[in-house]
Amino acid sequence: MQKQITMPQLRDEMKSGVFCAWLKEEGQPYKKGEPIFEIETDKVVNQITASEDGVLLRKLVEEGDEVTVNAPVADVEAR
Amino acid sequence: MERKPDWLKVPYNKEAVAEVAALMKDLKLNTVCKEANCPNLGECYQTHTATFMILGSHCTRNCRFCNVTHARPDPVDPEEPRNLALAAQKLGLRHVVITQVTRDDLPDGGAGQFAACIRALRALCPDTTAEVLISDMKGDHACLDTVMQARPDVLNHNVETVQELYAAVRPQAVYQRSLDVLRYCKEQYPGSLTKTGFMVGLGETEDQIRRLMDDLLDVGCDILTIGQYLQPSPDHCPLQRYVTPEEFARYKEIALEKGFRYVASTPLVRSSYRAAEALQAGGKN
Repeated sequence: MQKQITMPQLRDEMKSGVFCAWLKEEGQPYKKGEPIFEIETDKVVNQITASEDGVLLRKLVEEGDEVTVNAPVADVEAR
Repeated sequence: MERKPDWLKVPYNKEAVAEVAALMKDLKLNTVCKEANCPNLGECYQTHTATFMILGSHCTRNCRFCNVTHARPDPVDPEEPRNLALAAQKLGLRHVVITQVTRDDLPDGGAGQFAACIRALRALCPDTTAEVLISDMKGDHACLDTVMQARPDVLNHNVETVQELYAAVRPQAVYQRSLDVLRYCKEQYPGSLTKTGFMVGLGETEDQIRRLMDDLLDVGCDILTIGQYLQPSPDHCPLQRYVTPEEFARYKEIALEKGFRYVASTPLVRSSYRAAEALQAGGKN
């Protein structure tokens, strides 16, 4: 089933976040719990992990982009 | 924003965080994990671990390193002890860490609420151990007695930084008073382990750290945590440097050689991070 992964809200006051890095390439499968991308906040770099197995179909944002909370960052195929 | 070193990467699972956050909201509880924007929140919530922050989410002090909001304090919630115990039961916690916002406005500094929380926890989860991370309660022995007579397994009070940086980092606290809190609790209640923690990366020197460790051992402190200071926002105390994992390992060696029973020292160590491990080890590395 095709889905979209969105920008998580890491804390209540967060409106957007800086997208640091992709850890998977388009077409690459991943397992539940594997990190897919990184977001930098004031204190640390957060590695956002997959909530289920899937394949990264299309990246919708680029490294360095400031992305609004809940905006889509990738199309994925959930397995 | 300065680029973060590789060792400051942490996992974050949106669903796991949402589950624990929803439970806390339902029970009207606060966690220091959320209020202090703890870097380990993702990992701890995923393993159903949280550190409860009692007495509201607004602190009466304004320490320059801390992300907890300084504002008019909230009314004390009489349901909080029971709700805290219920949350511990629902999360299946074997070890509970309870901390507080500093409440200089309350005559007992919040000591009574700590005691009530420990008793509620003992009643509902008799096999769960309790660790309290308290403010200095202005060094008032009667307040400390109230907390300690509820028999926490671990009494934690953080010194936060070396003596030389108190004016810049903890302007409303007093170094000697924090040491006295640890000394009094150990002398009067030797059955409880005492614990403290400090941050590095604020500009302290190694000599200052060594003196701090000596002072802590002089007051009988058992367990020590050392972690990297992470600047919550540009308005907080400036970060001076990122201390490497190798330096943290050396600090641990120094502390153990000096005589601490248990030491946790890595960049992402926080005072309650994996606190159960320290207690399970009998307070010994």
